[in-house]
Amino acid sequence: MTGGAALAVTLLVATAVGALHGSGEPKSKGTPMSMRLLTQDQYLNTMAYVFGANVQPTTRFAALPRTDGLLASGASIAGLTDAQLETYQKTASKVASQVMSEDSRKYLVPCEPAAADAADAVCAKAFFEQVAPLLYRRTLSDDQIAAFVGAAGAAAASLHDFYQGLGVVLEGILISPNVLLVAEVGEPDPEHPGQLRLDRWSLATRLSLFLWNAAPDAELLNAAQSGALETDEGLAEQVDRMLASPRLETGVRALFDDMFAFEDFSRLAKDNTIYPNFTGETAVDAREQTLRTVVDHLITHRGDYRDLFTTRKTFMSPSLAPIYKVAAQGPGWTPYEFPADDPHAGLLTQVSFEALHSHPGRSSATLRGKALREVMLCQTVPRPPANVDFSKVQNPDGSVKTARERIAFHLQNASCAGCHRIMDPMGLSMEAFDGSGTFRHEENGVEIDTSGNLDGVEFKDIVGLGKALHDNPQVPWCAVRRTFAYGTGTAADSNDRRVLEHLSAEFADQGYVFPDLLRDVALSRAFRQVYEPKLRKTYPLPDLKSAERTQQRAAADALTVSANP
Amino acid sequence: MSNMNERSSRFAIKASVRGLAAVALLPLLLDGTVIAAAPPAPAAAAPEVASSDDKDWAPPGGRIGYVLWDEVSWGLRETPDKQECPHGFNIGPREQFSEEFPKDGKKRTLAETQLKREAAIWDPDTTPDEFPFYEATGKYAIGVNLDGKDTPEDFESDDGRKGIDNQLFRVVGCIRNYRKEGELGIITTKWRAQKPFNRVTFELSGVDSLKNDPDVTVSYYRTLDTLLAGPTGNYLPGGSQRIDERWGKRFIISAKGHIVDGVLETEPFKEIQVPEDGMGDPAINIFRSAQLRLKLTPKSAEGVLAGFIDVEQWYYAMNTSWATHHAAYGQASAASIYKALRRLADGYPDPETGQNTAISGAMDMRLTQVYVIHQEEDSAAAAQ
Repeated sequence: MTGGAALAVTLLVATAVGALHGSGEPKSKGTPMSMRLLTQDQYLNTMAYVFGANVQPTTRFAALPRTDGLLASGASIAGLTDAQLETYQKTASKVASQVMSEDSRKYLVPCEPAAADAADAVCAKAFFEQVAPLLYRRTLSDDQIAAFVGAAGAAAASLHDFYQGLGVVLEGILISPNVLLVAEVGEPDPEHPGQLRLDRWSLATRLSLFLWNAAPDAELLNAAQSGALETDEGLAEQVDRMLASPRLETGVRALFDDMFAFEDFSRLAKDNTIYPNFTGETAVDAREQTLRTVVDHLITHRGDYRDLFTTRKTFMSPSLAPIYKVAAQGPGWTPYEFPADDPHAGLLTQVSFEALHSHPGRSSATLRGKALREVMLCQTVPRPPANVDFSKVQNPDGSVKTARERIAFHLQNASCAGCHRIMDPMGLSMEAFDGSGTFRHEENGVEIDTSGNLDGVEFKDIVGLGKALHDNPQVPWCAVRRTFAYGTGTAADSNDRRVLEHLSAEFADQGYVFPDLLRDVALSRAFRQVYEPKLRKTYPLPDLKSAERTQQRAAADALTVSANP
Repeated sequence: MSNMNERSSRFAIKASVRGLAAVALLPLLLDGTVIAAAPPAPAAAAPEVASSDDKDWAPPGGRIGYVLWDEVSWGLRETPDKQECPHGFNIGPREQFSEEFPKDGKKRTLAETQLKREAAIWDPDTTPDEFPFYEATGKYAIGVNLDGKDTPEDFESDDGRKGIDNQLFRVVGCIRNYRKEGELGIITTKWRAQKPFNRVTFELSGVDSLKNDPDVTVSYYRTLDTLLAGPTGNYLPGGSQRIDERWGKRFIISAKGHIVDGVLETEPFKEIQVPEDGMGDPAINIFRSAQLRLKLTPKSAEGVLAGFIDVEQWYYAMNTSWATHHAAYGQASAASIYKALRRLADGYPDPETGQNTAISGAMDMRLTQVYVIHQEEDSAAAAQ
């Protein structure tokens, strides 16, 4: 081959690779514009950013429906009930009173009124100009600020207290639908005629919720306001700034907390007579241990995502140490590395996985296998039929000692085997851990057979399962799918397939470094590109309470008008 | 590690040397008639212990720690029919007050009554007690043969060991407060478990077998961490205790020991200091020539810490740890206890007065397994 021919081939290959990776993002519809509820953590993180970490009202927002493996996707289909509104109102009231308390107002209100017992339009304006855009996640017009100042003035005059006047309006802002709901807005994309892209404010919010799990900060809003976010360079600059921020840890923790379904920890209970070492504190620390491991490995050390399933490095607390049968080095968290010959290696061997996917009084190969399929591999295991005979699982025959024997019938019974074949073989290798997540060699005095296979890969123990997961191409693909869906706030569907394949290839090329995946997702065109979702036409029943609600509705409408930017 | 025979002979020589010293130092102060209380019938078979407890086992790295959580008693061996107290129990401060100051119409000042009694507690003396004091008696007691001798005032253990030194049993054995029906056992255990001031831990090192090992080292530490509490108010094995190597330096001490059939016995520690904070006025009990005898399992240990207990420190700890109502309801008269302590003290005579300053005794106790964290491990963790 001549030099010229070689150059031509090289260029051809480079072009082909470039088309597939890097700038070669395949075309897609983007994601539907969604309207999603701000989650409790997003709300609280935003309050902490705007008013400081001391302003942390105790509250409990309603649970979100888990959709396609993520609560973040469920937030876009969640409803809003009267009870939820009451919770939002109470929370808003707490925030407002904390912000306006005598201690806080000195530094949270940027000025001092001429008189504390009367309205002060200048000072009120300074306050609302500072906080309102951060809460509404966009700049506000002078008229909108003036409306707040006017309302605060009226309240101050009525209550003879400047700060209470501010507090009343702040409370109103915090229960505004425009604050509590993230309503994404699309606009024609000048670079791709006929397509829609997120408007600058929606993009800023999507980015910030994705990477920080909070509303945009002032700098991101400024970038949106200036139009910088609409340029590739400006967007990249902001994404890189956000990835370099310590707030990224909060965002990554939220993503994995959601992906690993850790909200289940809030209702996890163990039978204390069977597992006396497993306390409420153990559950809290188990969740924290895994999140610390993830952040340390993926963010601090920029490690290979797949190594999460084999790493022996983690963190230990006094509550967890007895479960792992190791010494706790301190009263708080300390780094910990299991020895090379230890059976603990990777997330599957952590208490968070083994205990969360067990019954209160016993382990469960099936629950663990199901969780492995659904959480780590993004696969769906069909629900069991309604007529399952559980008496076979709770076999009272004393000669049946181990789970492998107890659930052998799963694979013998044709109606069970279809599903259990994809759960039990890997779930049984996790029988090396009891229902509290403590490692064991034996069950009822009989040595546990921990061999199994995952999609054809044979292994002899839990460490082998971790390695099989590490090498399973579905694992990083699942991370990409969940990350993309989490970032866009909508469940991934078939429209996203080519984009996800592209992002997966990029992820692999970059050595499975997770912050690089976050960057690729945030900068992808699919992240910005949106389309009008198909809305199902509904025919609501007549509101039977309309008559008695006329006055209330009028008041609510008035508030909405005054608060709506 | 030495071989078993060498270890045994060294023990025997040391024990005989201690015995000679003890003969010179320890006056015999036994009075009253010895009434033998036969060992109780063996208890019903205990529930089968965990299989791991039955097997021989070596702890990782040859080290295992046990933290003290339960002070069962001050070495009391109680029989169901109270054979050790043939004269009954002692009366307490209320009863003594009533006897001394009967309601006979005689006018008495505060100084002549309450303050006089108060002074007898806080400025006690060894003059003969105005009230009869009933010592615990009998053939059997809990404890260790501290001086290597079997003398008439000594007891025998239920498992046939002779020469058990436990004169403190004579002092407190017939005082309701110190017995099972009293409240001290419950409350000292609560304080031991809950108050960080009271946290002490033993660590065995060089352990090749928890069943039989002729040569182990036992170290004693004051440690820093809370106990690992179980769901039903018990304390669980598997916790961790960091050594207080700063303020707890003076507590640190080691001794050699051996394990035979799962029972640890040590050579004497020169002095073991046991912190005791009851109601916020901390004290330290001092066990001189202290020896441990503990039944070991991988999860727990139980047995005694025996030694010659400093009388003045023990008395101070008693008075500062316990409120008046404890003494009143438990019928524990401090003034009478002091006289008995001094009368029965059998060790460590004062060089000037010749009076014994310590009394043989034993703390009957239970401990649970912990990992003992040494400073170098802390540093290594920090370096990570």
